[in-house]
Amino acid sequence: MNKNRPIRAILTIVAIIVSLLFLLPILWLLASTFRSQNETFASSDPINWSVLWPQHWTLGNIESAINNGFLRNLGNSILVAAVTVIVGLAISAMSAFALAVIPFRGRSATFAIIVLSFLVPFEAIAIPLSQSFSQWGLSNTMLALILPGLGNGLAVFTLRQFFLGVPTSLSEAANLDGAGWARIFWSVYLPLSRPALIGAGLILFLFQWQAYLWPVLVVSNQQLDLAPVAIAKSFGAFTSNYGQVFAETAVLAIIPAIVLLALQRYFVTSVSSTGSKE
Amino acid sequence: MTSTPKAVQASRRNGSPRGRRNLLAAIVFLAPSVILIVLLRLIPTITAINQSLHQGIPGSLNPPSFVGGQVFAQLFQSASFWQSVEQTLIFNVIVNPLQIILALALAVLLSRGLPGSRLWRTIIFMPAAVPMAGSAILWGIALEPSGPINGVLTAVGIPAQPFLTSPHQVVGSIILIVSWIGIGYWMMFLIAGLNDIPDVYYEASRIDGAGPLRTFFSITIPLLRRPLLFVLVADTVSNFVLFAPVQILTNGGPQGQSNFLMYNIYNQSFNLSNAYSGSAQLVILLIIMIAIVTVQFRLLGTGEDS
Repeated sequence: MNKNRPIRAILTIVAIIVSLLFLLPILWLLASTFRSQNETFASSDPINWSVLWPQHWTLGNIESAINNGFLRNLGNSILVAAVTVIVGLAISAMSAFALAVIPFRGRSATFAIIVLSFLVPFEAIAIPLSQSFSQWGLSNTMLALILPGLGNGLAVFTLRQFFLGVPTSLSEAANLDGAGWARIFWSVYLPLSRPALIGAGLILFLFQWQAYLWPVLVVSNQQLDLAPVAIAKSFGAFTSNYGQVFAETAVLAIIPAIVLLALQRYFVTSVSSTGSKE
Repeated sequence: MTSTPKAVQASRRNGSPRGRRNLLAAIVFLAPSVILIVLLRLIPTITAINQSLHQGIPGSLNPPSFVGGQVFAQLFQSASFWQSVEQTLIFNVIVNPLQIILALALAVLLSRGLPGSRLWRTIIFMPAAVPMAGSAILWGIALEPSGPINGVLTAVGIPAQPFLTSPHQVVGSIILIVSWIGIGYWMMFLIAGLNDIPDVYYEASRIDGAGPLRTFFSITIPLLRRPLLFVLVADTVSNFVLFAPVQILTNGGPQGQSNFLMYNIYNQSFNLSNAYSGSAQLVILLIIMIAIVTVQFRLLGTGEDS
């Protein structure tokens, strides 16, 4: 064991350096959020340590983001993500339950069709879909922003995998007691599946929080702009004054960071059910 | 895994009253998903195929006329289409293996019980939480002529680089941006896969006197094959439809070098009002996507095949 100690020390140093490389852009983002707009590049050219630590701290960038209506964009993003998670979980859990627990002819084919159609990346059909949405009068509505996030192949897959692991004796016992499938779903499977539900909820949340192409396609009314679109617009509008853009990006990043840090272990358990099961 | 035995299943088949009740329940439980698939996948696919077989003059009141494969024929003769395909392929051939190799290296490094492993994992995973539009902008500013990246380069004696504004460096710069996001994300999947490898294999290989490299290639890689392939395919799917960094930072330029398929389709359909050619390209993209996703689905392992 002793001869391994220097190797372990070297590997630890490698791990620290790599983590720092990944962390630096985030530190720079935070520092740039709290420094004045004309200081943005002051410490980068030539570079000095103030690049990661503002010389004069200010909340001006956050104020200008708020004055620019960023809170409304953020509110839109939160609303869209929240509705997507709740309704999307209900839809995914229902199909996962049918595909894992209810015996019927053609089940595995149905499963393949459902997961396959949702695995085709949404971006690939977003453009023709946006044309249909405008024909249906759905452009510039919250419904248009929410709908595409509701069906998610990975969420269905994760939940079905978890449901398959629940002993069938439980549902058979409930069945003998006269419980229908709805009762078994609601009072046997859902209460047992908290970790899988959280994992699937995270998948649904991240999809919507990342959305960019779709909101660009279906929303032209600024009041409905989601936060990422609003940031891209401020980035296009200011060519050298990036303070507000930094502040908006920092806020946009911090919300999923908190959610993920709090729920990280569920994300890992949920993804560990993909890929490795034979 | 836990599927009902064949005999029991047969008695519940659709013929018996119980089978019919089950089928009805399944239909009710699956209805919302099926409606979403028809609405969000089937209809737009049909729209795209239909549009790609038509041609019309933008803004004209005459309905577009059916032209069969003519739009495709024109597309295949268009140099800008082939450039877009070429750039998309170059980008993907580099970015996907690169991300997965680095993700695998980090996954192996951070599942050896080094001090602080959990913290390092979390830090490396953090960029995945930043929405793509945000990280694209962050890096776009960092790569500016007087930004901090060039600041570091000049500090160590390398002249400042143009990055996103150079036709030779733009693809590399985008690879850097998406890798900062992707490596930590895929690393988490691979760590989960590594944790699923039973310890006995490692013990056996240690008793046999195998070194770390030997163990890596004859234990870790073969037992990790499935998650590894899954991650590679999933990464490829997401990078094939990369859009936000291109639209926000380069608009496909300079000289079309970052004009990847997804952006080219968007640009054709909206900025150049060439919706029919856009649809034809979309159909090609869809065919590629369906092929890749089918492979991905097989790699997921459905829990029913053994």
